[in-house]
Amino acid sequence: MAETPGSSEQDLIQKSSRGRLVSNEALVSLVTVLLAVVIWYYLTDSFIDKLFFPSPMDTVLVVGRMEGVLVGYFFATLYRVVVGMLAGAILGVLCGIAMSWNKWINSILDPLIEALRPIPAVALIPFFILWFGIGDTGKLILTALGGFTVMVVTTLEAIKHVSPIYIMAARTLGANRLTIYRTVILPAITPPLIGGMRVTVALSFALVIASEFMGAQSGLGYMIMLARRTLQTDAILVGVIIIGITSWIVDRMVRVIGNYLTRWAPRSD
Amino acid sequence: MSAYIQISNVQKSFAGTARQIEALKDVNLEVQAGEFMCLVGPSGCGKSTLVFIVAGLVTASAGAVHVGGMQVTDPDPDRTVVFQGDAVFPWMTVAQNVGYGLQQTNTPKQEQEAIVTHLIELVGLSGFRDAYPKELSGGMKKRVDLARAYATDPTVLLMDEPFGALDAITKEKMQVDLMQLSVTETDRQRTVLFVTHDLEEAIFLADRVAVMTSRPGTIQVVLDIPFERPRDASVKLTHEFQELRGQIRELLINEEEDEF
Repeated sequence: MAETPGSSEQDLIQKSSRGRLVSNEALVSLVTVLLAVVIWYYLTDSFIDKLFFPSPMDTVLVVGRMEGVLVGYFFATLYRVVVGMLAGAILGVLCGIAMSWNKWINSILDPLIEALRPIPAVALIPFFILWFGIGDTGKLILTALGGFTVMVVTTLEAIKHVSPIYIMAARTLGANRLTIYRTVILPAITPPLIGGMRVTVALSFALVIASEFMGAQSGLGYMIMLARRTLQTDAILVGVIIIGITSWIVDRMVRVIGNYLTRWAPRSD
Repeated sequence: MSAYIQISNVQKSFAGTARQIEALKDVNLEVQAGEFMCLVGPSGCGKSTLVFIVAGLVTASAGAVHVGGMQVTDPDPDRTVVFQGDAVFPWMTVAQNVGYGLQQTNTPKQEQEAIVTHLIELVGLSGFRDAYPKELSGGMKKRVDLARAYATDPTVLLMDEPFGALDAITKEKMQVDLMQLSVTETDRQRTVLFVTHDLEEAIFLADRVAVMTSRPGTIQVVLDIPFERPRDASVKLTHEFQELRGQIRELLINEEEDEF
């Protein structure tokens, strides 16, 4: 019997899984999450002292108890992360482009950046508190500094690796230097910049939380620090979970925007 | 009357890791207006460097290149290049790529539109106007590159092993298409300098073939190719064609032996 194309068993299986609302892979991941929560529940119910790790129930309840404060702290942290990160990243990319554009700018800025780069930004927090106090200013500058270092290095490396053939092609077609930067170099470095931006997101959360630990009057890091002093492990865990989810969402947004900006780039899935 | 492209005593040396590398030495070559000249030579003889010097992308260490009586100092959209590698901008659509040179030369928008549409049709990519290069095959990308080089209506077209990376069948098809294109361009006689290491390609396409020596490269001999244009692929099977091929092959093999 001849097999008609498109009706083989393999095909039917693929079709039915494509038609489903949730794929098999997502279903398996969901089971993993549920299983983890169940194990968590049993462990905190039997072996683990609540003093060291809260149960899922306590964690949910504490959210209801802290509601108003939590929202305020959440936005304080988010504001510091987003504004600091964007300011640092934009300055970093602009600086990297300026350094590749002009060798004198490069000679001036390179030693400064090289001196700054190996220092973990967290080590500067005591200075920042001394200089700017425990308000937003110091935290924004610190976060921007972290993002700046990542992005300036990423930009310089990316420009160095733009294929010379594109630049030669643009030159033979009559493009001047400014046009080449705008129409060739900028799009060519976008994919590596997205990668640098994702590193910057993770780093910015770390820097904001760390600086909120050291001195602040609001923010999730501040909340965690307060809860630690009073041994409220449920509040600590809520803070940690909210930071994790927010960081994931911001990273996701960078990926979505990045995928759109680099929709032309060939991808291996 | 002097030639349209005049290459006079061109030398080029590069600073190598250990010593100075002499790539080109005393290169003299004249290409007439409207002529299709192929440049063949042993690998590493500097034929690509010579084309880049004519393009204005590389500066000669000594000597000069004149195009239409003007000395070449910088690249110019009147001398476009089709490169060996994939030079099509992956972040631009087919239409944006083809129109790139027109945008730089401030051609009026409407005219740009018309030229781009015409060229995309000419190279057979009408359905792919708004496609990104990642959706195209290697041969199709070369067609985009070709259309982009034609768009500014250059008097000189420089081609650096443009079909070197294509498979045999695609390559032959591109050669035939290029041959068709070179005779239909009646509005203006374009001068072409085409680098290749493929002798069949050179004899099939060229009015004259310049054979280079190995490094430091210089012009060994320039041969006339007597076949009437437009040619079709069957010319490759003629006795005369094969005889020419043997003759050039002989010249190149002697050069390769000299290296050892």
